[in-house]
Amino acid sequence: MMDIRKIKKLIELLQESDLAELEIREGEESVRISRHGPPGPATAFVTHAAPPPPNPGTAPAVTAAAATAPEEEPLPPGHVIRSPMVGTFYRAPSPGANPFVQVGQEVQAGDVLCIIEAMKMLNQIESDVAGVVKAILAENGQPVEYGQPLFVIG
Amino acid sequence: MTEALPYRLIRLLADGRFHSGEALGAVAGVSRAGIWKAVRRLHDLGLEVDAVRGRGYRLTEALDLLDEAAILAALGADGARRIARLELLPVVDSTNRRLMEAARGDAPSGSACLAEMQREGRGRHGRTWVSPFAANLYLSLLRRFAAGPAALGGLSLVAGVAAVAALGDLGIGGIGLKWPNDLVWNGRKLGGILVDVAGEGAGPSHAVVGIGINVAMPAAAGERIGQPWIDLGAITGTRVGRNALAGALLARLSEALERFAALGFEPFAEQWRRLDAVAGRVVDLHLPDGVVSGIGAGVDAQGALLLRVGGRRARFTAGELRLRVRT
Repeated sequence: MMDIRKIKKLIELLQESDLAELEIREGEESVRISRHGPPGPATAFVTHAAPPPPNPGTAPAVTAAAATAPEEEPLPPGHVIRSPMVGTFYRAPSPGANPFVQVGQEVQAGDVLCIIEAMKMLNQIESDVAGVVKAILAENGQPVEYGQPLFVIG
Repeated sequence: MTEALPYRLIRLLADGRFHSGEALGAVAGVSRAGIWKAVRRLHDLGLEVDAVRGRGYRLTEALDLLDEAAILAALGADGARRIARLELLPVVDSTNRRLMEAARGDAPSGSACLAEMQREGRGRHGRTWVSPFAANLYLSLLRRFAAGPAALGGLSLVAGVAAVAALGDLGIGGIGLKWPNDLVWNGRKLGGILVDVAGEGAGPSHAVVGIGINVAMPAAAGERIGQPWIDLGAITGTRVGRNALAGALLARLSEALERFAALGFEPFAEQWRRLDAVAGRVVDLHLPDGVVSGIGAGVDAQGALLLRVGGRRARFTAGELRLRVRT
């Protein structure tokens, strides 16, 4: 959790400035502080990058992969596979093993593309389309965010 | 399925007594020479066999083999209702991999798989889970969920709580959990849990929970473990029956997964915190891009690790936790 004193400081900073809104991101957490119309008091929201999970027995109403993440560079054309969760990205089933897929490789719908590990759960991420792997956008062993683009299948 | 000759032989020799080559051959349906060859193959499984002229063959140590009837009896009526299928194998690459493959087909929720030995038993980050023949317990359970994989985060911790409860059912106490789900006893690793998950983003999904518990680790195999470890034999001073343990684990785990499917991690959070082996202790969390040092502060309602770092509380869903060794 972000420290309450820090949030208080941010509110003071906003009040002293001409800004309408201030957003600070720290790892998985972000704080957005905005004024509800001048000259009202500033309010703070603490959010997590990932939405709180619904009960696993009930299917969520919204498609998890539909969330958008900021994209810095334009992606090659094709179908984008995004990370459904926060975790560590692995391209191979084990350190010595061959990667699940390489750029240029053909894949079928249902083929495993990578593993994302979170809390010792190894999530096999499957392709939901058939095509050719156009780009691999995350690095092996590195953390990935919710909604982050991982693969482009064209 | 007809069992291969080495396993028929192991079944005959499991009592640890001498059996003559003729007697073994008669039961197994092969010649004395065939028995001689088969006995040599037992060495490949890590089993030690004494061959004594005039007396025959015996295993240096008697084996407590997996037995379906004994596991079902230990499961109880309620547990057996939740276990749709029980598969016992002599040798498998990995019980988790086997069930993940079965899950791509029509294997029902509640399918369980146990093996006497895993050739490629897996730990975290692709490490090997040392799995010698009939010495420990290697058990996996498949559960299907309506929700997508992202909703299953706390499952890994729930499995740890269930495993500690199962050990408690056998009268074994003093077991704690090291986030997310290592089973530890006085700082030594007793068991580990690995969960494989696959499915559609919006559901349905399935998870295979794999549990490995050291029951009676042979000294030679133990030397291959890269961290302080312990087995149930050393904790209890007795030989813990693997079938009773398997039954208790499957009963507790299937019950916990049913509850988790309905209610999520939150009802388990308090139990997990009571078992937390690092609460209030100085730990290092090893992350891909460095090490964070802090003091264990439990888990949040999603099962994420909380550490007190400097003056603030930080939340983590990745990384490997190690107790700071005081020098």
